[in-house]
Amino acid sequence: MASAAKRLEAVPGIPAPQIAFDGVTLVLGGKTIIENLSLGVRPGEFLCIVGASGCGKTTALRLAAGLYQPTSGKVNFDGQPMRAPRREIAIVFQDYGKALLPWRTAAGNVSLALEAGGMPSAERPARIEELLRTVGLPGHAGKYPSEMSGGMQQRLQIARCLAQEPKTLLMDEPFGALDAMTRQGLQDEVLSLVAASGATVIFVTHDLDEAIYLGDRVIGLLPHPGRIGIELSVNLPRPRDQLSTREHPEFLRLRRQLFDFVKATEQ
Amino acid sequence: MNRAALLWRVASFAVAAGFIALWQLIANLKLVSPVFLPGPDRAWASLVRGFSSGDLWSKLAGTLEHMAYGWLAASIAGIAIGAIIGSSRTMRTYVAPSLEFLRPLPVSAIIPVAIAMLGLTQAMALFVIAFGAIWPIMLATVHGFGAVEPRLYEVARSLQMSRLAVIFKIALPSASPDILAGMRLSLTVALILSVVCEILAGLDGLGHWVLLSARAFRSADLFAGVILLGITGYVTSVAMSLAEHKLLAWQAAQR
Ligand SMILES: Nc1ncnc2c1ncn2[C@@H]1O[C@H](COP(=O)(O)OP(=O)(O)OP(=O)(O)O)[C@@H](O)[C@H]1O
Ligand SMILES: [Mg+2]
Repeated sequence: MASAAKRLEAVPGIPAPQIAFDGVTLVLGGKTIIENLSLGVRPGEFLCIVGASGCGKTTALRLAAGLYQPTSGKVNFDGQPMRAPRREIAIVFQDYGKALLPWRTAAGNVSLALEAGGMPSAERPARIEELLRTVGLPGHAGKYPSEMSGGMQQRLQIARCLAQEPKTLLMDEPFGALDAMTRQGLQDEVLSLVAASGATVIFVTHDLDEAIYLGDRVIGLLPHPGRIGIELSVNLPRPRDQLSTREHPEFLRLRRQLFDFVKATEQ
Repeated sequence: MNRAALLWRVASFAVAAGFIALWQLIANLKLVSPVFLPGPDRAWASLVRGFSSGDLWSKLAGTLEHMAYGWLAASIAGIAIGAIIGSSRTMRTYVAPSLEFLRPLPVSAIIPVAIAMLGLTQAMALFVIAFGAIWPIMLATVHGFGAVEPRLYEVARSLQMSRLAVIFKIALPSASPDILAGMRLSLTVALILSVVCEILAGLDGLGHWVLLSARAFRSADLFAGVILLGITGYVTSVAMSLAEHKLLAWQAAQR
């Protein structure tokens, strides 16, 4: 634990982490889900987390969101202990169907975040329109979530998260339930949104290619209990491109390394 | 409306017309003494007479008033209490079973208690109606609040919404289909209890009118009152359905 803590201390030239896990252990229902996890995420960094099903990816994200409190260790945000969820940290849930208010239209769902942020009602419509345009949903303001496709619903959830003006965006397999084409389109949109807003991102995915394509860094978790098994820096040029990035030798090398890791953990 | 729905509508009117014709036939053949059973013609004449003299208007107004006040009181109290119980898991576990135990208690058993405490008064009627009508609303609210998608509470937490905002923007709308269904059930209960209380306490209303007509063997007036009660029940329930349809338009989109 001491060595882990040391790693997070300010190093000249490297900015202090926005989110810092310091020897975090989480026990739920008598089971250790996460053990001694230490991890720093720099402001503006795009961190991807991969790992087998049930290894604790969602749990780690919920710790970062303040939805869980660690059993021991600390989770810090901007140097302050995380005691509860905060508006600067937005979460995009995988099950978009459950995370949207079915009785509110697209505009109403985005409005929820603006209302919570205390924006006067006169200023909301313009901002809502802008956000819906940003995520590629102009002209759908009056639709209910149930009238939208899965991809549109997930865009809507992202719009609501952007309405929080988050410093950190946590995404839990946000595109897991979408088809390949929609998925690639949304990957690029998320990259450009994040580049524009400068937000820090922690992105959980099952898809190793997706992790390398999006991330500045990829972390692979080992299961039972969840801990870091591999950490890869992704030095691929940005902006990324669906064709050339995926054919880049470095991409292929990292992909190989990550596949080998996952394969080894499955045995 | 599509063809099939139209056909059903026509068929249901035909059945109703058939019943009225049968009733007229039985009355004309004097299968039942006219002292007890007037034909639809005489009942209709009595209805027209009652409305033109203004007597029935005031009785109808009385019943509607009892029903509305009792139902509104039951709705407000039922939703408030149901929300408190339903929004806490502990309360749901410990209090909800006793509610289930109290619910089947016949309201008629409460009436003597209410009369003993409040006398034969409007207050007694209001209490009895509200007490009877509160159950469907309260239990539906408890259920609705307990069934809110937990993910939405997490969204609310990450938006740092206030407790009040969570109730009014998330829990209440989410529970609204249940609550409105409970309110529709209660409407019928409120009408039944209004009539019962009017009969027992002699309060101005259709129940009282029906009782007096029966005592005086004015069977046509008696039937006019009963028909009017039926219409009241039907119209209020249709109005409630329309309100539900409008308030829950988002659910129609979901199907
Ligand atoms: N509230 C809880 N109580 C007890 N155990 C839990 C709880 N939540 C999660 N777990 C367990 O913790 C482990 C990790 O769960 P988690 O949901 O974080 O996995 P994951 O990596 O996100 O998996 P997936 O890829 O399937 O989403 C699982 O074995 C799960 O059964
Ligand atoms: Mg998960």
